[in-house]
Amino acid sequence: MKEPKIIEYDALVIGAGIAGGETALNLANTGYKVLLVEKDHSLGGKMILLSKVFPTLDCAACITTPKVSEIARHKNITVFTESEVTNISKESANNFVAQITKKPRYVHVDDCTACQLCEQACPVSVQDEYQYGLIGRKAAYIPFSIANPKAAVIDIENCTLCGACERVCPTQCIDFTMETEYYELHTKTVVLATGFTLFDPIEIPRYGYGRYKNVITSMQMEREIAPTRPYNTILRPGDGKVPDRIAYVLCAGSRDNTVGNPNCSQICCMYSIKQAQLLMGALPMADITIYYINIRSFGKGFEEFYQQAKSMGVEFVKGKIGEITEKDNGDLILRYEDINEGVVKEAEHDMAVLSVGVRSNPTIGKIFNNGALKFDPLNFVAQEDLMGSPSKTSIKGVFVAGTATGPMDIPDSILSAGSAASEAISYLTQHQEV
Amino acid sequence: MKVEARKTAKYLRDKQGVPEKAKEELKEYNRIKKAITGALKDEELTIAQLSEKLQMPKPEVTYYLLSLVKYGIVAIGEIDDMDEYYSYKLVK
Repeated sequence: MKEPKIIEYDALVIGAGIAGGETALNLANTGYKVLLVEKDHSLGGKMILLSKVFPTLDCAACITTPKVSEIARHKNITVFTESEVTNISKESANNFVAQITKKPRYVHVDDCTACQLCEQACPVSVQDEYQYGLIGRKAAYIPFSIANPKAAVIDIENCTLCGACERVCPTQCIDFTMETEYYELHTKTVVLATGFTLFDPIEIPRYGYGRYKNVITSMQMEREIAPTRPYNTILRPGDGKVPDRIAYVLCAGSRDNTVGNPNCSQICCMYSIKQAQLLMGALPMADITIYYINIRSFGKGFEEFYQQAKSMGVEFVKGKIGEITEKDNGDLILRYEDINEGVVKEAEHDMAVLSVGVRSNPTIGKIFNNGALKFDPLNFVAQEDLMGSPSKTSIKGVFVAGTATGPMDIPDSILSAGSAASEAISYLTQHQEV
Repeated sequence: MKVEARKTAKYLRDKQGVPEKAKEELKEYNRIKKAITGALKDEELTIAQLSEKLQMPKPEVTYYLLSLVKYGIVAIGEIDDMDEYYSYKLVK
């Protein structure tokens, strides 16, 4: 391993999703120098991949892209993509030392014009993770059309090193000699904004996810209805049929002790209702049915949004899905308990969307020395003073923003980021070197 | 070490070789691409028709065919009378 480069910033923000980005902006606008570390190839986290947001139905990209652009251009923010913080130790009240590994992108971002000639020349095709496996992508590729930085990246694990990409690159920005870089960061405060992971429904075999191609996750449907969608219209992945009867299965991986998550994920009811409304716009003749245990429309404008979906013709069935089976033609039989009537019923659908829940992101767990960072029973970052200062963690000077603390929607994530930034600024002010 | 621009892939290939998995996957993709484009040479087909002609599962045909649409090799044709299935054709 090479000797790390020593760098210094006032604040380290880990995770460049909507919460991390907002935190970095707030800190930077106050004059602090911020290092924003992101493991992925783009800023924007999960939000930048969404179609629209609830309950306003505003375009998610229209909100996210100006923000990530502001972050990327801010003179007080340095962004490290493809990077991970591997260790943090607290040396004194205002001196945290973090080890950072920056993986090579094999593209000089500043020189790339995103012309996509490398993508056209690349002979490789592998699953596109940004389209949640619905379609392929090349090994030399732009992650997605609104990615920031909008520059090519080489998927080195799947690259055959044929060199076609660099031969067609007009700016000679592709460089396979790039190597992993190591940094030792000295910083005065740390904000954790590592977000959440989505429940993998393969853990519930009775739903058939993975076996039946027409059972998809809500994030896959989110991609299908987004403007930067994988297909020309809504299609079922099993056979390319335009679906006519779409079912939503709520609480897939939430409120379910059998998969270790007794909590409500807080966002699934509303994003499913949002998707149902968008589907009714995209497929006006389609029947959309939402199977639910309880609809939790607790936020501002949520109940009205729910009632609006009902009035548009979305069918809500209070029922718990027991099993999904597939017919020879790819249609699905959903067997469920009708909770109101207390009987078991079956219904046929073209496609089933599993409204998957929110889980903690385990990556942050091991980076602090001596296990000093505390977690709640579901492995979200524990809030030391939930009622008084919800951004404080078990380590003084380390704050937490967004869904790293637990499930929440976008407005709450942004509020939480504001709170974390305020706490971090207050800490920086109190621990200023005289 | 200074490596000449546009020849850096060779540098890495010589240094660490090409992963076997990547070579296998490329071979598989080329085989399927050839089969699909060959089948669409003379006529527009739906996914079900392609699946039957190629003896390939429909989900696999769907994934590769729609990837070829994304890459600009295949174009979307007409939808059937029931508004259910599109047909697909080669981009000339």
